[in-house]
Amino acid sequence: MSTDVMIHASNLTKMFGSLAALDRVSFDVHKGEVVGFLGPNGAGKSTTMRILTCFISPSSGTAKIHGHDVFESPLEVRQKLGYLPQRAPLYGEMSVWEYLRFSADMRQIDMGTFKTRLRKVVEVCGLAQVLGKDIRTLSHGYRQRVGLGQALIHDPPILILDEPTSDLDPNEKAEVINYIREIGKERTVLLSTHNLAEVEAACARAIIVSKGRVVADGTLDDIRAKAGNVRYLVTVDEKNAMTGKAPTATVVRDALAGLAKVQSVSETPSDDKAHAFELAADKESDIRPEIYRLAVEKGWILLELRRDAKTLGDVFRDLTRGESLHARGLADRDDEDEDEDEEEDDTDDEADDDGGDDEEQDDRESDAGDSKSKSGSSDKKKKD
Amino acid sequence: MKATLTIAKREFKSYFDSPLAYVVICLGLALLGVFFFFVHGFWQVDRASMTMLFSYAAWGLGTLIVPVITMRLLADEKRTGTLEMLITLPVKDSEVILGKYLGALGLVSVLLLATALYPILMFKWPWHLGPLDTGPVLAGYLGLLLYSAAAVAIGLMISSLTESQVVAFFVTFIVLLVMHKVADIGEFAPGRLGEIARAVSFEANLTNFARGLIDTRNVIYFLSITGLCLVMAFRSLESRKWS
Ligand SMILES: Nc1ncnc2c1ncn2[C@@H]1O[C@H](COP(=O)(O)OP(=O)(O)O)[C@@H](O)[C@H]1O
Ligand SMILES: [Mg+2]
Repeated sequence: MSTDVMIHASNLTKMFGSLAALDRVSFDVHKGEVVGFLGPNGAGKSTTMRILTCFISPSSGTAKIHGHDVFESPLEVRQKLGYLPQRAPLYGEMSVWEYLRFSADMRQIDMGTFKTRLRKVVEVCGLAQVLGKDIRTLSHGYRQRVGLGQALIHDPPILILDEPTSDLDPNEKAEVINYIREIGKERTVLLSTHNLAEVEAACARAIIVSKGRVVADGTLDDIRAKAGNVRYLVTVDEKNAMTGKAPTATVVRDALAGLAKVQSVSETPSDDKAHAFELAADKESDIRPEIYRLAVEKGWILLELRRDAKTLGDVFRDLTRGESLHARGLADRDDEDEDEDEEEDDTDDEADDDGGDDEEQDDRESDAGDSKSKSGSSDKKKKD
Repeated sequence: MKATLTIAKREFKSYFDSPLAYVVICLGLALLGVFFFFVHGFWQVDRASMTMLFSYAAWGLGTLIVPVITMRLLADEKRTGTLEMLITLPVKDSEVILGKYLGALGLVSVLLLATALYPILMFKWPWHLGPLDTGPVLAGYLGLLLYSAAAVAIGLMISSLTESQVVAFFVTFIVLLVMHKVADIGEFAPGRLGEIARAVSFEANLTNFARGLIDTRNVIYFLSITGLCLVMAFRSLESRKWS
């Protein structure tokens, strides 16, 4: 282990009864990195962070912070850490100043040092207006900032922040992310979130967890590339055609899915004048000419044809899709019986979606026989 | 050690951030006052009434005041999540327990000190209802302090076992009540059982103090309850790690 490893987690496993909240989670965070710890709710982010801060113990595995073992020297570990737990639980009856002073006292910081640090923290976290106010009277955004301030008061080399932006409105989110970016300039930060935009804004690297496992770990570009796919957006006019009658969604889907190199097709929501589809294909080739030729041959009016890299969001959904199926009670079925699973997924979609063309769409997907397409459609519903 | 005192100080001060401390102190003093001036008869005050004062004070403390003070100690911090914030500061679990304990005991001690107003008012100034034997009064207060130490430890332990203040309050209330009165129940029990009941009862262990006697057995009794409950609270706090 090289000396600049600030956070080292090795095979962390945590059982809650028979539930494995963490399953052999391993990663390293190096000095100066700002790492996004990404995963859907229940993936095990908070559990990992609680282990790293010695609040709970892993069932097996080890973790080291700044070279100190979480089992053997919890106090040293905590001295090196600034930690902001999920939802920033603070003592509401204390004023912001009192709270920061309390944190400093607990860390044996004398009054002189405290005053210098306070000035910096107040500046970095934007707390000047609220220092004298009781914490219970503050908005969520301000509470998170006080939480950040509390985590910074001892000028720690490492920060662990558990969903610092959840429950905030968009403006507050942006602000907190700005503060974190500021803070991250000279510190090692592990930041958990389920918001990808934030990771893209603040982090160079992400660790994606799903169902207690690390499913991806690397720079954002690496993770995007890992999926190895590009996306084509194809929109075809629904009402008009150059020759013959206007195409139905099914016809277009079939035809698109029939193209060589297309891995999956899923319909995306669009207005009622057009059919919009998203195609996944490997990134080596470019199939736009084929798509165009197909449209001409069938007489469709092509309204849009675009090729772009998968967004981080797509990759995230692909990697963690098991979780959403799991949440719908469909876990682990997809491997046993592809068709049955599709049907299950289908009925589910109808239940929580306004329906329409989706039935046809999912049938197509089972034909395409590619798991990626399922994730695309099922997660699209999740957002609804 | 410094962390323990910081926690104790914060805990103590936080009682005064809500009406709780004021209500508890005023209520405690008012009840004692009512008893003293009206029930017992202010002008007949003597040694015997001091003994009564102590036994009533113990009653009030045990059944109402201590449960109210201790109910939130850990239960509420667990519920709101602030415990996670507190424990992940560089502090040992034992220091958290001890700090919270001292903070709560501090408030009870303030209340005890406040009750000292009654004997002072009556025997020293402005009234001089006769010579006051300082010895027995001090012994009585020592007894109350030891009793409070044990009762607060019991309350803290119970608060560490639940996330609900209300549950913590009622369980503490019942436990303290039973501990207090177990000697009375014991009177009906035959032979050794009655003896045991008397030996473990708060009331029985307080009578010597109220009479002005300091018996090491009674001191040890209260101190061991305190120690035992603090260790159990510590274990309960630690158990979160392995749940
Ligand atoms: N104290 C606990 N007791 C039982 N199960 C828990 C406990 N804490 C977390 N879990 C479970 O562990 C899993 C991971 O939780 P968590 O780490 O909080 O996820 P995240 O922070 O990624 O949303 C969840 O399924 C959750 O229900
Ligand atoms: Mg969480």
